[in-house]
Amino acid sequence: MKIVVCIKQVPASNDAKIDPETKRIIRDAVKSILNPFDNYALEEGVGLREKFGGEVIALTMGPPAAEAVIKEAIALGVDSGILLSDRAFGGSDTWATSYALAKAIEKIGNVDLVICGKQAIDGDTAQVGPGIAAHLNWQQATYLMEIKRKDEKVILAKRLHESGYDICEMTLPAVVTVVKGINTPRVPTLKGRLTSLNAEIPVWKPSDIDANVDQLGLNGSPTRVVRTDPPAPRLSSTIKIEGSAQHCAKELVRQLRLRSIV
Amino acid sequence: MITKTEIEKMNFRNVWVIAEVEGGIVQPVTFELLGSARELADKRGSEVWAILLGYKIQDIQLFAYGADVCVVIDDHRLTHFIDELEAKILSRLIEKYLPEIILCGATSRGRALIPRVAVATYCGLTADCTQLDIDPNNGDLLQTRPAFGGNILATIRSSNHRPQIASVRPRVMKIPQPNNDRDGIIIFESILPSDELNSKKVVDVYHDAQSAINLADAEIIIAGGRGTHGKAGFELLRQLAQKVGGAVGASRAAVDSGWIPYTHQVGQTGQTVQTKIYIACGISGQIQHLVGMQSCDLIIAIDKNPDTPMMQMADIAIVGDMFEILPELINEINLR
Amino acid sequence: MHDPRDHIVNKIYHVEVLPPKQDSTKLLIDLDLFKEKYLRVLNSGYCVCITDNAMGIMAFQGHEIIEEMSLYVHPNQVMIHLNTFHTKADLDNILESCKNLKIESLLVITGDGSDRLPKLQPADIGESDVESVTSVELLRYIRRSYPNTFVLGVAFNPYEPPEHEFAKMKRKIAAGASFIITQPIIERNAQVDQLINEYPTIPVTVEAWMSKKLSLLSDAIGYEIPADTEYDPIETLKMLHEVYPQCGVYLSLVGFKTQYDLIKDVWK
Repeated sequence: MKIVVCIKQVPASNDAKIDPETKRIIRDAVKSILNPFDNYALEEGVGLREKFGGEVIALTMGPPAAEAVIKEAIALGVDSGILLSDRAFGGSDTWATSYALAKAIEKIGNVDLVICGKQAIDGDTAQVGPGIAAHLNWQQATYLMEIKRKDEKVILAKRLHESGYDICEMTLPAVVTVVKGINTPRVPTLKGRLTSLNAEIPVWKPSDIDANVDQLGLNGSPTRVVRTDPPAPRLSSTIKIEGSAQHCAKELVRQLRLRSIV
Repeated sequence: MITKTEIEKMNFRNVWVIAEVEGGIVQPVTFELLGSARELADKRGSEVWAILLGYKIQDIQLFAYGADVCVVIDDHRLTHFIDELEAKILSRLIEKYLPEIILCGATSRGRALIPRVAVATYCGLTADCTQLDIDPNNGDLLQTRPAFGGNILATIRSSNHRPQIASVRPRVMKIPQPNNDRDGIIIFESILPSDELNSKKVVDVYHDAQSAINLADAEIIIAGGRGTHGKAGFELLRQLAQKVGGAVGASRAAVDSGWIPYTHQVGQTGQTVQTKIYIACGISGQIQHLVGMQSCDLIIAIDKNPDTPMMQMADIAIVGDMFEILPELINEINLR
Repeated sequence: MHDPRDHIVNKIYHVEVLPPKQDSTKLLIDLDLFKEKYLRVLNSGYCVCITDNAMGIMAFQGHEIIEEMSLYVHPNQVMIHLNTFHTKADLDNILESCKNLKIESLLVITGDGSDRLPKLQPADIGESDVESVTSVELLRYIRRSYPNTFVLGVAFNPYEPPEHEFAKMKRKIAAGASFIITQPIIERNAQVDQLINEYPTIPVTVEAWMSKKLSLLSDAIGYEIPADTEYDPIETLKMLHEVYPQCGVYLSLVGFKTQYDLIKDVWK
């Protein structure tokens, strides 16, 4: 099985700075990490290869420093990685991001399965996985808690939804997104990390993936962030409730009703 | 890229709501979306259309909640959620009827379906909106959504593309009062053979009430600390959580005592949570715990000791014994 | 196997050395620094203590660094911390490596987790009565799976409510702990006094905070220490020896550039 795992470098802390011009994240301002949900995608990819053989490739788009997450993926056991990095990719929304990733996956060629984390913790959109599937016109399944192989060309995907789960029979090639809990991601070993230090990471530009530059970056993105605001601050005073247990319970429910919560 | 000119944009009219139909039943999120759609359409002077895809759909007349037109495909092939099939159908309907705005629930289904539609139609899509407004002159949708774990509210436009698509976070918009005098028209559509190309099969379905909690973040967390005194105390928290559809959390002291698995631990070396309500029972509130839950909207603390850091920082502090108060609270909720 | 009392009788300090972090951008340099500190502690006759993802921040494991850099081991001069945030396979791998490397001392702690660290599950180590694996279950498992291989120690936190902490200590000792190391203390501490009284036969080592920045201790003890608090680590260390002559001392955050040479003559 030839597997591509799409990963993303995200700001580690929640107080990331926003560029007033582009209204997008300034990535150098805070420490960057591998998107936590992508650990599950990487583990699933590496686990499937260990069971069924084949190859796992990590793919990311970002600034040159995003090479770090590809190296982390190599330390965790993927065979190789590719970084899409060029000014033309900068400022992409989810439409343009999934377009670029889909073009790269086409370029890699003969890919059977694309695995993404369920969402990235910075944008929280969960749109890129299905977006890639749409650009490739492949089957998709999201929020998977289990992937089983039926035969060479078919997988069984256990899909989580609000009222339970279902099992989908999918014909490869396909794109899936996975949730926390599908596996227990391994921790990189020192040996793995030392290996990744020497790995060469190819950097692909728009011309390398035959992308139409009009559909990339800020210009290719249908959405624009026009304003950012801090959320409303919380009140600082405490309402104290005392007395019998019954009184406390009644009073709490009344307070919740005042806030139209119950 | 395929942007729309001002003249082309004028061909796009009306606000669509993609109804969420599960087992033939229209889900509550649909009514929330209809309420928002009605407000937007009224400002713009346009119509609200509800799009219903499903099988044996029980009540297709959504007029009372604000729809003017209901477009319905009722077909056995829509029994289960097949992303590829529904996306093809919707893309086709969009080309046929040219809506200006499309709203969809930011549910597991909506979040899987609508990006496929947005890509196919080259439209802007904003995920997980919590606030919507419209520029009445040009029909631009102002879409506000939290980013960075709620630390920023971003407002997003997609001025040069039509339709404009937004997924809306469930349980944020209010369900409108139904008006049974309202009426409208129903359009029946059907599946075309081309819609079905390259679709997957759903082979098994299971129901599990826990899934909702696993999937989305819970809106209420009932957390216990050392004052919970053991597994029996957590059983009480679990009962309340079940009653209100919440999740159970814990302080490190409780986890380190072996009363509850680590996955429930909230705080610096556990999870950071940001729920609508956080009820802390017998948690003193060491800084390591507070950093993990201080961004919750409403913090309620229950403790015998009124002077703990948690009781000081809570919005509502209840002085008393959790073992007496929680059963009363469960009773109180049962009465309603 | 060595007797944990040796460290006190022979005045052997425990010196904590932090292993390189997983997200280090200069791993090779960090490894060299680690090696330098490790050898320095060993060569001065003390016991080097290597932490296990302290504060839930991912770092490399002591045993893999020792293996990778071919560092030598004296059985009573190397201690590794071992917590409950490992998969069963990783845990067994660590224990097997330690056995082969002849690392005898393990400080068994519940430890700090994070989203990224796997947590040992009760079923993994044959426990069914608890919801969560703590140091007690981990101790039991090691004792059972590796009899007579390791000298196992546990932590004591004088900042927790005593009733709770002493009840836990009872279970830790019953599970096989043969020495105790406290959280950092900066003065005589009533809970530590009680600990020494209750367990006269078990060697107790107190932790001395060797950083001038006392406020950093806030995280460990759970309440806020003002950033501008004056603090003299060497004086505190001398005082601890005076107050607790029957105890060993564990040094955390030792400054290797200037401070290390000063501590050599303190314990006499």
